[in-house]
Amino acid sequence: MKSTALKKQSNDFYTLNPPISTKPDIYVVIPAYNESKTIKDVLEELKDKNLKIIVIDDGSSDETYEIAEDSIINSYNESIYRHVLNRGLGAALKTGIEAAIAKEADIIVTFDADGQHDPEDIIKVCKPITEGKADFVIGTRDFSKMPASKKFGNNVMNIITRVFYGIHVNDSQSGLRAFNIKAAQVLDIHSRGYGVSSEIIGEIKNHDLKIEEVPIKTIYTDYSMSKGTGLNIGLKILFKLIMNVIRKVF
Amino acid sequence: MIFQIYQILGTLIGIIAIVLSLWRFKEGKMTLGMLSFWILIWAAVIIISIYPESTNLFASITGIGRGLDFILILGLIGSYYLVFKMYTMIESMEQEITQLVRELALQRENLKENVEKSNNSLK
Repeated sequence: MKSTALKKQSNDFYTLNPPISTKPDIYVVIPAYNESKTIKDVLEELKDKNLKIIVIDDGSSDETYEIAEDSIINSYNESIYRHVLNRGLGAALKTGIEAAIAKEADIIVTFDADGQHDPEDIIKVCKPITEGKADFVIGTRDFSKMPASKKFGNNVMNIITRVFYGIHVNDSQSGLRAFNIKAAQVLDIHSRGYGVSSEIIGEIKNHDLKIEEVPIKTIYTDYSMSKGTGLNIGLKILFKLIMNVIRKVF
Repeated sequence: MIFQIYQILGTLIGIIAIVLSLWRFKEGKMTLGMLSFWILIWAAVIIISIYPESTNLFASITGIGRGLDFILILGLIGSYYLVFKMYTMIESMEQEITQLVRELALQRENLKENVEKSNNSLK
């Protein structure tokens, strides 16, 4: 019901989003690639929060899919999708968002499977949407608590996001984000890898949707430290972005 | 006329490449358009190998010092273009694979849910 109201409203450019007053359907999309060590704990913690869960196993070569399947009890609220081949973070996110749209979600939250996010923050990032203040919310990590190499990589990515998409945000690479259904539906992303985070922000800006940033906690473990945006990935993303620009010219 | 080694090599490579192209076309791995394109390119390589002086004509037209320089520059640009073309082709192929993988994942899960639903209604 609510989603149709929002759909109608998206045609009308000038009205503000109505606050979602009744309990919204929040779907947590969790892309997972070789996360067998953490996926179980992440899912258990989320289940206590009474949220709907969509896991996308992105062609993991370890037991991620089996472990996730075992920890699912209620198949109505929790589903796992499996990519038969590894297609990258961007591809997995897109699959999850499409699945959530098909299930008529009101709010879609993306959540990393490596255990670096605090489930409490999900409600925090959803709040600006339920209050009708934003269409898209980024859970911004505290850079001052980040190890130097990650801090550098993330800062570079913020600059790249600014140069290529013309928008400055404080944490372009955060894995914890929330979309209302309107934002999720207009999203047209092509990046398969980590470049997706910047591309999403660019898409939101192109469609004149409202962005909010909410500070979130980050749980740094040795495990989560080994993943995510370092310098290496930053350079890869930069190369892709430049190639995309050249391709458009030709 | 005494052939230099590079002339023999150029001709040989050109012939082998043309034979391989014809072979690939016969097996249906190459389109007619691509076949004609490659035959033209390799025929030019053979002709230039046998008659290197013919490139002087291009040199005088374009104003690049020596004929062979002109051909080398052309070859370099051509190769870069082809590499780029290949990059974009692979990229679009990757996107198609991703789409297929996504569709498979979504449909398989839907199927599972439908089976569960019908099982529940049977109970």
